[in-house]
Amino acid sequence: MNEGLVVFVRSIIAFFSLLIFTRIIGKEQISQLTFFDYVLGITIGSIAASLTTDLASRAWPHWVGLITWAALGYLMEIVTLKWRYVAKVLEGEPVIVIMNGKIMEKALKKAKYRVSDILELMRNQGVFDPNEVDFAIIESNGQLSILKKAEHLPVTRKDMNIPAQNSGISTELVYDGILIEENLRQLNKDKDWLMNELKAQGINSISEVFLVTLNPEGSIYIDKYDDHITKITDIGDYKGPF
Amino acid sequence: MRRFLIIAIPLATIILFLVVMLSGNYLKQPLGKNDDIPGLIEVLIKDIQDEQWEKVSQKAEELDQAWEKVVFRIQFSAERNEINNISVALARLKGAILEKDRLSAIMELKEAYEHWRQLCQ
Repeated sequence: MNEGLVVFVRSIIAFFSLLIFTRIIGKEQISQLTFFDYVLGITIGSIAASLTTDLASRAWPHWVGLITWAALGYLMEIVTLKWRYVAKVLEGEPVIVIMNGKIMEKALKKAKYRVSDILELMRNQGVFDPNEVDFAIIESNGQLSILKKAEHLPVTRKDMNIPAQNSGISTELVYDGILIEENLRQLNKDKDWLMNELKAQGINSISEVFLVTLNPEGSIYIDKYDDHITKITDIGDYKGPF
Repeated sequence: MRRFLIIAIPLATIILFLVVMLSGNYLKQPLGKNDDIPGLIEVLIKDIQDEQWEKVSQKAEELDQAWEKVVFRIQFSAERNEINNISVALARLKGAILEKDRLSAIMELKEAYEHWRQLCQ
């Protein structure tokens, strides 16, 4: 029995099983995870780890554990999608901790948050003075959402009656020196148009550029491989190895 | 076609993993020449009871080789502990044969058989 080889094969089984199961379970981003999702992830990962290296037992029971946890996680997701009431029980619900500028002590206690935690979460959002806050809500993923008092909200173009145009999202036309023709077609442009734009900037070949993006307003961004910057600003505060 | 592959590739991968993990029970059975563990154990017990020690010694060697072959086949689906237990029982068997100890030899063979039966279960 070659232990190294067995661990190698088991690693492949665990790795790809985990990859497939996690793709099936969740489309949620890490930042949207509830505490239970977090624990679920850790447990599934831990089972996959023991599947890989625990040669004292067969791979099969570990794999059954893995698929059972993944299936239950998936089941919970389906249940919480279908029944809102169950979702509230399982995932919790947002808690208002500051209402009309006043801290809700009972709600804080129920959510098991200290005032210092709330102040820290507020600072994370750039709010250093509780006076600025009208409403603060602890979301079910543990993050704090803040609605500032009207007098502390920034002035918008609408407030000033300044006309605004939507700029849209930039699309990549060249990525790492390679032309993405599909995106070019999507924006009703062709290669000749792009070459003319590049020539106007003194570029003769697409392979010279690292990135070209275009937004629906027609604003083009071009970055060449050759940056012609001789003195690069170093933001490091301590001399490191590189 | 792409959609089919998106489903088919993970499905085929999972099926392959299941085959690798569950094949042990099939692969421990005799499949070719000189890999019949339960058969050899049975013959050995009979020869020990008849006290044919020359034959027993030769058959024990065959059992050892058969076990090597089976271990190679089942290594990805079997538990290390059961494999070790059988290997230890076979090593003890050799000692019992050397001392022509009938009782110990049969005990070790019965233990090895029980571990073989439990293997990949």
